[in-house]
Amino acid sequence: MNRTALLGILLAGLISGCGSNVTLKAPTIPEPLLEQIPMSIGLRMPENFENFVHEEKVYGREEWSINLGRSNAAFFEQLFGHMFADVTVLGPNDDPQLLPLDALIEPSIDAFEFSTPDQSKTDAFAVWIRYRLRVYDREGKLVSNWPVSAYGKSLTTKMNSSDALERAAILAMRDAAALMIMKFDNVTRISALADQPGTESEPADASQTDEEEDTEVQTTALEGSQDEAG
Amino acid sequence: MKQAKRLIKAPVFALMILSSTACVTSTVQDARTGLTGINEGESVVIMAKSYHLGNETEMKYIRCIEDNLARGSKGLRVIPHDEFIDSLFPWFEPRTAPAETKNLAKLMDRPGVADKIAEQGIRYIIWLDGDTDRVAGGGSLSCAAGPGGGGCFGFAWWQNDADYDASVWDLEGLESAGTVSADVSGTSFMPALVIPLPFIARTQSKACKTLADQLHSFIVQDESV
Repeated sequence: MNRTALLGILLAGLISGCGSNVTLKAPTIPEPLLEQIPMSIGLRMPENFENFVHEEKVYGREEWSINLGRSNAAFFEQLFGHMFADVTVLGPNDDPQLLPLDALIEPSIDAFEFSTPDQSKTDAFAVWIRYRLRVYDREGKLVSNWPVSAYGKSLTTKMNSSDALERAAILAMRDAAALMIMKFDNVTRISALADQPGTESEPADASQTDEEEDTEVQTTALEGSQDEAG
Repeated sequence: MKQAKRLIKAPVFALMILSSTACVTSTVQDARTGLTGINEGESVVIMAKSYHLGNETEMKYIRCIEDNLARGSKGLRVIPHDEFIDSLFPWFEPRTAPAETKNLAKLMDRPGVADKIAEQGIRYIIWLDGDTDRVAGGGSLSCAAGPGGGGCFGFAWWQNDADYDASVWDLEGLESAGTVSADVSGTSFMPALVIPLPFIARTQSKACKTLADQLHSFIVQDESV
């Protein structure tokens, strides 16, 4: 490579500004203290859960690429594995009605957002993830459609940016897990689908069940709780 | 040449003297609402109040308190907070952690919670709230470099305030044992005559040591008191 080419590359780098790439390792959800729901469920995940990449250019600053890889898939496999007695992960061509399942859950991701210390004028990275959980009965009828908003925050002190952002994303996933463990059955009424033939019930109204549950659960705060009820 | 050396040495010496004077002031207080004491085999855990409530207690501050409480022959048995949070997942996540002692009874009724707490011998949960902030600063310091060398000239200063509160919850009676607070203020200086000389006030470290010492006294106080 001659000098001109090298100089060109250096100049291009300077002009384009810095880029940050973060690759998230699959999170490990600790074994929760809960009463497992005695059901056999199917779990069908969208294609992008196997390789989810979020790219964003922070206005006037650097470009971020956050590669969650199959973190979302691993997260839901672990979480529902703890929450339900029996979980079958379905492939894209599997027909759930041919399997002995009580219900089918389809998680998806509506939004992934983050803020950097420059944006928030703090020392912290913050991550917001909005999942959506669709629950179907054994007849394939949608019985619940629940948006779950989760939040994680990590200070940058003694960490590089990548570590702090990764930590914030993992905390957001743990936050989502905590919310689902606390409220899944109350919001989706999934346990009513156990060993029952398909019912004619209307999809569960998440806003009503959230209000009922809020009076019982000893939460410290529900940031973005209006979204959860949505 | 000798004169130049003398010119540099004089302010450096003066600043070293200045740095030896107190740049950090601290106030520590406690308010006891119940008897405390800790038995052999019992432990404590240090937690940060939820960031969902706007708290920004630094992770390194929590670790510092853990280390200081556990240090020495009379050190307390401290369960690392991340180990504790994982063992009780999801009941001490920022979203789910109890905000008041009145929620403890309900928490203990959840499957496996009381057993996990007993297994680790946890007698006290200490909730930390607060952070260290830069509250003022000024001066001007500039550096330049050229073919013949480089150097800095000027004077900069800044003031950090470290305000932390610790709420001590006694899991034996499921009630609050009281609070301990530390308020530390420190001013750092950086004069520069060719070489910058930082005189850093260890505000957060001081707040950590002060609060940990007071917490230790607060907890191990004889039950007869």
